[in-house]
Amino acid sequence: MQNRSISIKADKIEKRFGNALLFRNISFNLAKGDSFYITGPNGSGKSTLLQILAGIQKPTSGSVIYKADNSEVERDCYKNFYGFTGPQVNPYDMLTAAENLKFTSPETVDEHLMNGYLEKFELYKHRSKPVKYYSSGMKQRLRLIHALLNDPEILMLDEPCSNLDTSGRDILYRILGEIKINKIIIIATNESGDINLCSKGINLEQ
Amino acid sequence: MNSRILKNIKKDFLIEFRNRSAVNISFAFAGITTLSVSLVAGGTPFPPVVHAIIFWIILFFSAMSGLAHIFIREEEEKNSLFLSLYYTPEEIYISKLIFNVVLFLSISVIVTFLYLFFLQVLPSYKFLFFLTVVSGSIAIASVTTILGAMVSKAGSGSSLFTVISFPVLLPVLWTAISLTSVSIDGSGVQEYRNIIFLLAFSGVIVSVSYLSFKFIWTEF
Repeated sequence: MQNRSISIKADKIEKRFGNALLFRNISFNLAKGDSFYITGPNGSGKSTLLQILAGIQKPTSGSVIYKADNSEVERDCYKNFYGFTGPQVNPYDMLTAAENLKFTSPETVDEHLMNGYLEKFELYKHRSKPVKYYSSGMKQRLRLIHALLNDPEILMLDEPCSNLDTSGRDILYRILGEIKINKIIIIATNESGDINLCSKGINLEQ
Repeated sequence: MNSRILKNIKKDFLIEFRNRSAVNISFAFAGITTLSVSLVAGGTPFPPVVHAIIFWIILFFSAMSGLAHIFIREEEEKNSLFLSLYYTPEEIYISKLIFNVVLFLSISVIVTFLYLFFLQVLPSYKFLFFLTVVSGSIAIASVTTILGAMVSKAGSGSSLFTVISFPVLLPVLWTAISLTSVSIDGSGVQEYRNIIFLLAFSGVIVSVSYLSFKFIWTEF
């Protein structure tokens, strides 16, 4: 699956809430190996644009097209290609980290891989604890594992460093640095560390 | 059955088992209402039709107190995007429907035993009575599952749920009350055919819900 050529084309995307214009005329192309940041002040629509790219929200006008091996992908299938995380993506508080990961991973995902990520993000010893007892930083680490676990071809991360301590950021940057050559990475952020990781991007203020 | 649907049902039961408040409230409501009716009745012999009406009113409000919860919880605890990222709307709908049918059949069994015991009712046609409870419960669970999804997305909680459920469930309640009355007093065995109405009603509701759920659950 990783050998496919995958691309995303955003064409003249506009988003309005009622009469209020959030952004318009956003166009770009992304291919495997691209890492792209979306930045801008609070309320400028970074998360909304990311959700539009993921097919979670609908643009007011314009379009998003995914292509795999030059064939257009149906919108319902977008989620087979990406790992997505953000402040709105909340694992179940009443389940443990291991139960949440098993719930979202396909049968083909090896338990060793899951444990490997739990170890990398220093959550392994907490894997049997219900998520409701996690700190906000630990929850963020678990969200990132969910996005990475299925080895998706596209990674969409909304404020990936929020609530992370220095060690958590280092782990994330190290992993993203290792995998970005084979993936499309899109990050909605205002953190300079995240922006420096990307090869190109867009500022919604402009 | 699809293993992903089973995974989702297992997850819902696990969460309900660990956070027992909603299910316990439903069972407590069913038990307390039945006991209250029997205490208020104080041994007064009701005609079969009155028994049937009281019995289905208890079941209706037991459903109202618990069955919307499975969708409302996903929204209130902000898990719906997490769920939607990994499961298709069809998988979500089927798993929630099965959860609600199992939960409501359990509530119905408890209400039935308590009602028959405390109000000293012995149905003449026991099999018809059993079929009525099962098919009526499936019909109520089918309707309340899709209405629970709508209400959770509307963000208005369980008060709207009861208001919009009642008119949709009226044909079910009407038929179930008539069948229950007949099964208690032993008149009109030909009423068996109305069981088919209850099952067909569930079939239509489930089919329409399955096809439309995607548009209720997602923005598109």
